[in-house]
Order: sequence, then C-alpha cells, then structure tokens
Amino acid sequence: MEVLRLKYEKNEILKKDKAIEVCFKCSTCSKFCPITQNVKKYNLENSFVTHLFETEKEVALNDVWMCCACEKCLITCPQDTNPTDAFTNLKEISYREGHAPETVYRLVDQLLQEGTVYALKFTNLARKRAGMKGIEKNEKSVEEINKLAEKTGLKGKEGGK
Amino acid sequence: MLNYLFFKGCTIPASLPNVERLALEVLPEIGINLQESSEFTCCPDPIRLQGANQYFWMVSAARNIAIAEEQNMDIMTLCNGCENTLAISNYRLKNNVDLKRKVNNVLKEIGREYKGTIKIRHFLQVLKEDIGLDNLKKMIKTPLVGFKVAGHPGCHLLMPNEILKFDNPVDPEFYDQFIAALGATPIDYLSKADCCGVSLNLAGDKEASNRCIENKLVDVQLSGAGFISTACPACFNQFDFGQFLLFRNNPQLKEKPIPVLYAIELLALAMGRSMEEIGLDLHRVKIPSKEGV
Repeated sequence: MEVLRLKYEKNEILKKDKAIEVCFKCSTCSKFCPITQNVKKYNLENSFVTHLFETEKEVALNDVWMCCACEKCLITCPQDTNPTDAFTNLKEISYREGHAPETVYRLVDQLLQEGTVYALKFTNLARKRAGMKGIEKNEKSVEEINKLAEKTGLKGKEGGK
Repeated sequence: MLNYLFFKGCTIPASLPNVERLALEVLPEIGINLQESSEFTCCPDPIRLQGANQYFWMVSAARNIAIAEEQNMDIMTLCNGCENTLAISNYRLKNNVDLKRKVNNVLKEIGREYKGTIKIRHFLQVLKEDIGLDNLKKMIKTPLVGFKVAGHPGCHLLMPNEILKFDNPVDPEFYDQFIAALGATPIDYLSKADCCGVSLNLAGDKEASNRCIENKLVDVQLSGAGFISTACPACFNQFDFGQFLLFRNNPQLKEKPIPVLYAIELLALAMGRSMEEIGLDLHRVKIPSKEGV
C-alpha cells in the first residue's frame, strides 16, 4: 500500500482538540480498536491511535481514513481523550490538501451531482431487479446542496482536489 | 398509529431495495406509518463525508432535518450511519446557540431554517422506546421458533452514548431482546460489539477488512447460530457480499455459511412473510439447508 505523506502542523489539531495532549500512550484504546486489531502493522505497542498521536509533523495520512469513528477508543480512554474527533480533524486536513483516498473525492463528486452517494443509474438497475420503482434526481435538492457545498468550502479552492 | 418521515439514506435504496419495500409494507402492521419525501439528500455519511468537511456535513444534515421540520414530523431511519449523523447534528445544534446561528446563516441562502423541533429515530429506537418489545411480541404472527440468530447492533447506533442513549456500547443487549421478542433464540458470541470493518474496506485495506469479517464469522459459527442479523446496511454488505467473497479464499468458511438477515427482514418473517417474500434471492449468502432454521 502506497504511503502518502502530508506535512501538517500538529498545532492545528491541538487547537481543535486539546484533549489529545494528555494521551499517555497506555494503549488501552488499542485493545478495543478494530483497526489496531486487524491491520498488520499495528499492534499493542504501536497502535493505530498512538502511532498517529506520536507523529511529529509527517504521518501516513491515508491511514486516518481507516478510522471508522466507532468511538471504542473514546469509551475506554482513562484520560478522556477523544481520538475519534482528532481523526476526523486529520481527515479534514488530508482531504483539503488533496491526500484523501481517491474514492472520497469521487464520493463527494457523486453526492454533488445527484444528491446521493450511489450513481442513480446503478441504483435503478438494482431496484428494477428487486421489482421496485426507480428514483429520479431531485434537481432542486441537488441545487441546494451545491449551494451549501460552496458556502461551507467543500467546493471551491479550499475543497481538496 | 405512529407517524414518521422515512429517511431512506443512500445505501438501502441502492443496494437493499427489498428492505425499503418491506419497511413500507410491514411497519404499518405494527403501528408505524411512514411518509416518504423526495427532498432528502445523503445524510451525509459519518466516516468519509464528515472527514471531508465537517461544516458541510453538519449543514447538510441540518438541511435534511429542516425538511422534516417543515412537515412537522419526526424522522425514522433504518440505517445506523444516517441515525448517527442526523442525531449528532440535531443534538449539537439544539444545544449550541452559536453553532445553530452559524448553520442557519448558510441555510438561509437556500430558503431553509433549522429550528430544533423534531426527534431523530432509528427503527430499533422506535421499537424500544415508542412501541415497546412487550407490545411487539403481542403483534407477532409467526414466532420464529427454532431460529438461532447472532445479533450485530453495529457501532454507530451505540456511540456516542451520551447522545444516542440507546444501549450499552461495550456489552449491547437490546438487539438480543429484539430477536427474542420475535420468538427466535438470540445467540451470544465473543465479538458481538466489534466493528464490521467497513472503513478498512473503504480505505483500501481489503485484507484487514476481510480479517474483521472472518473473525466475526468464525465466532458466529462457533456459537452455533444459523444467522447473523444487523440493522445497518454497511454492516449487512460487509457480512453478506464480504462473506461471499471470502468463500473464494477460505473454503473452510464455505462449509458453514451464515446467511445475513436485516432487522426488518427478520421482523417481516415474524409477521408471516416467507423467505421468498422478504427477498432472500437478492442476498449473496443463501440458506444452506433446513437444518440452520
């Protein structure tokens, strides 16, 4: 798997999420983290959460997209840190800088084209097979979320690739 | 009769259309009336789209909630992801005046406003809090006697617990109670509260995703359950299509396939529908023989 590297200031994460500063790398979270348990390079000594917290400036940021936001780390943390929020913030930087997995950019494109993350062409084939009526694109709704994407910075020069 | 605006989301209409059909057909029989709306867009999903831009994520969730508010109806969803996004957004907007003002400034551009007047409900929450399992039990037509079912509640319906307040996130109980209310036997297994691994799949690490599925399947096989059941379409696809793909690499697993039943499908069976009627032919993992039932 290719490792994408991204320069980011850890301060930017700390500013948004002060709690992670008190992580003392006890690895309690990693005993419950599905990523640590199933991705080969992570283990109790080098868990998914601590690996990303310990990194100074550069990190394999495509890995942050593995976080499923299940919040098991949050339940078990004795220090009340919120790794899930930190990962969401990291994902945001990764997306903005153009380092998120290609599928995420495609997902956003698809959402802004049809209002749903699955292409209606394929959705309607599956529905036909199940004997169900197809779905039509709602032009007004799509126009509305495009406007929201513009106003919130998802679309435009701040919005990733 | 309880009335809800049906938030279908993206995955159910696209990959589990039979679940959408069953919800509209079967839920009125237990006192849930669903109204449809074509104005909703993606919730948006809490793993990837929240990661892409949290502000956009919150504002589009607020737009979906505002649509239901305009009709003065609570939202019901069948999907853990939709529930997670909409309930978190609703909670944060209700409890943070500054955030609400900021979000409404954007919504004003499209002529909408978030007010904070409605509730967001997952189908299982409606069963738990609005109908009650004791009442559900009385409405069941064909109790699923002999069905051994391993429940998988899924992560995003359990956390964040202070917002969803649904079940114990470490040792969830409600899904098993739901299975028991339908007359089936809930089977406990070691990795019940574990993740299905969908985000690993989405991030491109198929091998790790397969390991997640395999761990759970082996536990379920050892527990003696004949089915696995979930109320999340992402988990469903991991277990159904994911299991189907795993059979190619791991013939041992194929010896005891575990068919997957969506919560609504399980309910439909208990309301007298046949396996054919619930759309089992659309599943990848079929029922091996009568003995699992």
